[in-house]
Amino acid sequence: MQDKKSISRKDFLKIGVSCAAATLASGILDVKKAVAKEEPVSKDTGVDLSNLPAEIAQNNQLIRMQNELARALKKPLKERKWSMVLDLRKCIGCSACTIGCKSENVLPPGVVYRPVVDEEFGIYPKVSRRFTPRPCMQCEKPPCTPVCPVKATYKRADGVVVVDYDRCIGCRYCITACPYNARTADFGEEYTQGTPKVQDYELRPTFEYRKKWPRKRGKSPIGNARKCHFCIHRIEIGLLPACVTTCIGGATYFGDANDKNSLVADLIARPNITSLKGELGTRPKVYYIWG
Amino acid sequence: MKESSGSLKALLKKRISRKKFLKMSGATGAGALLGFGMMKDFGLMKDALASAGTREVNYDLNKADNIINSVCLQCNTGCGIKVKILDGLAVKIDGNPYSPWTMWPHIPYKSLLSDSSVIDGHICPKGQSGIQTLYDPYRIRKVLKRLGKRGENKWAAISFEQAVQEIVNGGKLFANVAGEGNRNVEGLKDIWVLRDPKVFKEMAKDVKEIWHIKEKDKKQKKIEEFKEKYKEHMDKMIDPNHPDFGPKNNQLLWIHGRLKSGRSEFFKRFIQDSFGSTNFHGHTTVCQGSLYFTGKAMSDQFDFDEKDKKAKWGGGKKFYWQGDLSGAEYVIFVGASAFEANYGPPYRSHKITEGVVSGRMKYAVVDPRFSKLAAKADKWMPVKPGTEGALALAMIRWIVENGKYDLKYLSNANKAAAKGDKEPTWTNACWLVKVKDGKPGEFLRASDIGMLKTPKTKTLQDGTVVEYEFDNFVCYSNGQPVLFDPNNAETAAEGELLVDTEINGIKVKSALEIIRAESYKHSIKEWADICGLEEEDIIAVSSEFTSHGKRACADIHRGVSQHTNGFYNVLAWYTLNLLIGNFDWVGGMSQASTYDNVGEKEGKPYDLTKLHPKKISSFGISIIRHDVKYEETTIFNGYPAKRPWFPMASDIYQEILPSAGDAYPYSIKALIMYMGSPGYSLPAGQTQIEVLADVNKIPLVIASDITVGESSMYADYIIPDLSYLERWEFQGSHPSVIWKVQPVRQPTVAPIPEEIEVFGEKIPISLEAFFLKVAELMNMPGFGKKAFKDAGDLNRPEDFYLKMVANVAFGDEKDGSKSVADASDEEMEIFLKARRHLPKSVFDLEKWQAAVSPEYRKKVVYVLNRGGRFDDFGAAFDGKQLKNKYGKQINMYIEKLAKAKNSISGKGFSSIATHLPIADSQGNIIEDEKDGFSLNLITYREMAQCKSRTISNYWLLSLLPENFILLNSLDAQRLGLRNGDSVRVISKTNPAGEWDLKGAGKKPMIGRLKVIEGIRPGVTAFSLGHGHWAYGSRDIFIDGRRVIADKRRGTGIHANAAMRLDPYLKNVCLQDLVGASVAFYDTNVNLVKV
Repeated sequence: MQDKKSISRKDFLKIGVSCAAATLASGILDVKKAVAKEEPVSKDTGVDLSNLPAEIAQNNQLIRMQNELARALKKPLKERKWSMVLDLRKCIGCSACTIGCKSENVLPPGVVYRPVVDEEFGIYPKVSRRFTPRPCMQCEKPPCTPVCPVKATYKRADGVVVVDYDRCIGCRYCITACPYNARTADFGEEYTQGTPKVQDYELRPTFEYRKKWPRKRGKSPIGNARKCHFCIHRIEIGLLPACVTTCIGGATYFGDANDKNSLVADLIARPNITSLKGELGTRPKVYYIWG
Repeated sequence: MKESSGSLKALLKKRISRKKFLKMSGATGAGALLGFGMMKDFGLMKDALASAGTREVNYDLNKADNIINSVCLQCNTGCGIKVKILDGLAVKIDGNPYSPWTMWPHIPYKSLLSDSSVIDGHICPKGQSGIQTLYDPYRIRKVLKRLGKRGENKWAAISFEQAVQEIVNGGKLFANVAGEGNRNVEGLKDIWVLRDPKVFKEMAKDVKEIWHIKEKDKKQKKIEEFKEKYKEHMDKMIDPNHPDFGPKNNQLLWIHGRLKSGRSEFFKRFIQDSFGSTNFHGHTTVCQGSLYFTGKAMSDQFDFDEKDKKAKWGGGKKFYWQGDLSGAEYVIFVGASAFEANYGPPYRSHKITEGVVSGRMKYAVVDPRFSKLAAKADKWMPVKPGTEGALALAMIRWIVENGKYDLKYLSNANKAAAKGDKEPTWTNACWLVKVKDGKPGEFLRASDIGMLKTPKTKTLQDGTVVEYEFDNFVCYSNGQPVLFDPNNAETAAEGELLVDTEINGIKVKSALEIIRAESYKHSIKEWADICGLEEEDIIAVSSEFTSHGKRACADIHRGVSQHTNGFYNVLAWYTLNLLIGNFDWVGGMSQASTYDNVGEKEGKPYDLTKLHPKKISSFGISIIRHDVKYEETTIFNGYPAKRPWFPMASDIYQEILPSAGDAYPYSIKALIMYMGSPGYSLPAGQTQIEVLADVNKIPLVIASDITVGESSMYADYIIPDLSYLERWEFQGSHPSVIWKVQPVRQPTVAPIPEEIEVFGEKIPISLEAFFLKVAELMNMPGFGKKAFKDAGDLNRPEDFYLKMVANVAFGDEKDGSKSVADASDEEMEIFLKARRHLPKSVFDLEKWQAAVSPEYRKKVVYVLNRGGRFDDFGAAFDGKQLKNKYGKQINMYIEKLAKAKNSISGKGFSSIATHLPIADSQGNIIEDEKDGFSLNLITYREMAQCKSRTISNYWLLSLLPENFILLNSLDAQRLGLRNGDSVRVISKTNPAGEWDLKGAGKKPMIGRLKVIEGIRPGVTAFSLGHGHWAYGSRDIFIDGRRVIADKRRGTGIHANAAMRLDPYLKNVCLQDLVGASVAFYDTNVNLVKV
């Protein structure tokens, strides 16, 4: 898969570890404070789309999922199990999700939360092509969180694996630990660097984790490890993740797998469902329909 | 990840160059580029910092106050977009949920803004990246004037006022450029010479009379009479001996790329209605001209013509059909890549993926490349390029042989018969054609077989009643001729389909019989061999195509039309669709349907075609010689003509500049080029550059562009334009969209170009501003005070466009019964809040109010709040039929072609579907493979680029940093090439394999090879959009200072320059002389390792 920022080992040692080591050595770290806290239950209960005609809610999968989202938000955080299903029969390899995500989360060069892999199989004229979007798997047993020396990355009660930007020291252990290459480092680049002027839209704050993070030298998320977080800043106010809404093939499903009436619960229970690298025991909450 | 190209080392290097650059750019006071620090302070960072770090901040992007719904133009699909604005900056684009393009099913039109603001529709990566087109650091803010030779990229940033003064008045404008010291340039005021609309009208009438005279002497006599009659105007004619060239006004040439309604009417108002030039030409033939012009020929109706006072063929629409994918059960996509292009992925993809997964639909893909669409197909047919028509004929043969056509539908000869079967359309399949010496010609008429003509009356629009005689057409039933009028809705006429007989000694055949015979020229096996396909696959596809009733269709696009035989390929595939009678049926062929914004329909608020105080009807042969018969003109000089004439087409892009270069039929004095890049987009684009770069060929070149582009870099002046996110337009629709719609593009953010003053108003520079200023300086009617007669002034773009929005809001019923609702008070407030960041130069409430009458204002707001007008989901269906019907006759036999002549060969054309070999303008078959050019070059579209204008989108570049030359592994082996090799593309007419960019030197045509299995051996392909030589990829100089190029924008290959030149015309690519398409896929090349 072509999904990882190629950071040479040398670069890593030169910049990453020296920072990390310095931070650790200086004894700033308060381990007690770093223990992941239970997130408070959000007051938001999603959006109310009851004005829309019933047939739209039934026939439009986005509206249906958004209604289900509102239902899930009424429950306590720990009772939700956010899950994603990617129907590869419907993925057309357009990468709308990749860019929708970049734009939503203000991702700089090198940082990608959701690449799409394009593979060709067979010999002419018997050929096939498969497109595989690859977001963070939001593992039940994430290999990335235990390696964090400052406990900046952890799994929330609703199962979403997050990074506390205020805490992350940019050591990039988690990047190495992830078997899916789902994490990338923010080196503080901008796309319009080297052009007549760096453009303001690249410096605008991202709303990740329901905070505003303007892009400023020396400030998070620059220097941090970054990853897909299912757009929790959107889901918690009743909006579907950006990759879900923008999917032009209708291949991306999202919802609460604990809700037995949800679309995702239904899809996960079908025989054509699978997940990536199940043998590792990571137990992803991102599922694939292969065919 | 492809992103990995940005290594740390590279990053550090970039930082340094940026620092250096900032130092330099700070010193440039001109502020000519967006990057040059003159941009408004949006106050963004202040606000952002203030709220940083606080918990639970508000997510601002789901509030209606921060959203303006508009229309994308990153490609021409026209998806509805939702532009999300943060502190005045466009930061995120999503799909507009009101638009059927970007949500399926879309939400009802009456849905509240509070609902739509929290529902994001789907949109492709190009759509998402639109803010990078808007905020491109290489955008220009000021007028650039050429300081060096054309193409040298040395510019001066000058004031708008100075630029317009110079363009209007002319003079020695480039005295300081070497070699141009004494070159006097005629300004627009010297070209706008004939100004009296009455004289235009009279002259046009007299020219028509000259054309209708056949005898040479009499024609000459009439010309002399013309010269005498208009002797006081002879100094205003291009050539008094050729009155049909028209006045000198025609020497102002307009050429456009992407132009949609609204802007189209505004610019025509200037060029045609006020300036009086006939030369207003578009780019259709580079896209899919032969698709449009086959559609035009097939939609011609034989009906009473008010001008000529007789029944004749006419009224054909320049349009085409696509399949309705929402209801189809079987689709054959031919040269159409619905997941990557094809108008367009956001609208079409969902319907295909849902159809396939639910089991509703299966499809085949006919394409030499294994496209993303092919990845989900039931069958991939890697056809040999240029033989698409042969495949259709094979299928026609199978269908006729097996009697699988829709007999009932095809037997209907006229409207009444169709009505009887509840069919919205009918064909001329059973009409009898006279056959002479084995050649099918004109239709048999009643008078041919001694029958009387039918007396008829017609009430004209002005109320007068005209009596005329109608010579009926004839079909054949039970051994008897049946006479009919195709438009008769009461007396049904039905005929047999395969007729080959004699009536009163005249040899006749039915149209379908002629087509049958054509398809029987080869066995299916022989056709399969021509196409390079398997016979069994053709049979399987034919069988499936005819097994779903009307819920099947062949959906065709560029791969069918962009060949020298494009017209007939399209005709063959549309004939196939006619055989199953699927037009206007759910799952069959559909046409586009739009709300009228121009106001021509009865009862509309503003008829913008009439609101002009002194409207000229321009006349004369156009520079592309279209819509006129060569033989009738005053420059008819036997065959071959110097350049081709086009009786069936218009907007013949490739012919515009080379014709101006050859001064045939006359020379051009000034050119205005808008949102198009002929040098980049056309096959053999170097021939276009050759003309653009030569000051002796076109003395004055004005380009409108948002940056210095591949073609605008050859201009004398570049007028900065507004991007699609800062301006107005009415996008219209595409045939596959089954709802009646009118998406409205509107200003969403503060404009980048600098503010100027015209007619006392402060507005941003744009092409509208340019025309307004020219009109102001020349005191030209149609602009400024009383420009709309009693409906007010035209001082600002919105004076024009808001009237069009009112027309859309009003609907198309004359009593206004289809008007939209008034915006509620709450919606009025949201409308204002969502525009709080716009400067007065684009949004001044009082000025907007002044543009439309009070009764329409709240309706205008209702439409603008929704980004246009869209019918509700259910409104597209009428049982098993589509609601928005074409509803007329469709020709499979084109009688006009039976009478037309090829202006180069002097021979006739085929009037039915046929397979022609790939040939040059003289009809000689192109066989460059015999000279060792073994690979057939084709192009395709990657989702991550769109031809000439998206290379500035860095997000898209992160998906596809460079493009590739695709090659099958068998060919790679044969040629000793390996994956990743750099290769040069050479062809018979470009053996050096390079772009000759004139003033900008030469650029080798070298790209990287990608060896794959998913392409037909013997075919090689590159995707369009890379290989730039301008658009920020090349250093330019403004006021002596260097603007450093961004090398990321110059990666990959653009191999159009390898495409074959026509050996007779020499300075243009191969083209279809009927449908006028350029040939994108008819060149053989070689790949040479470098």
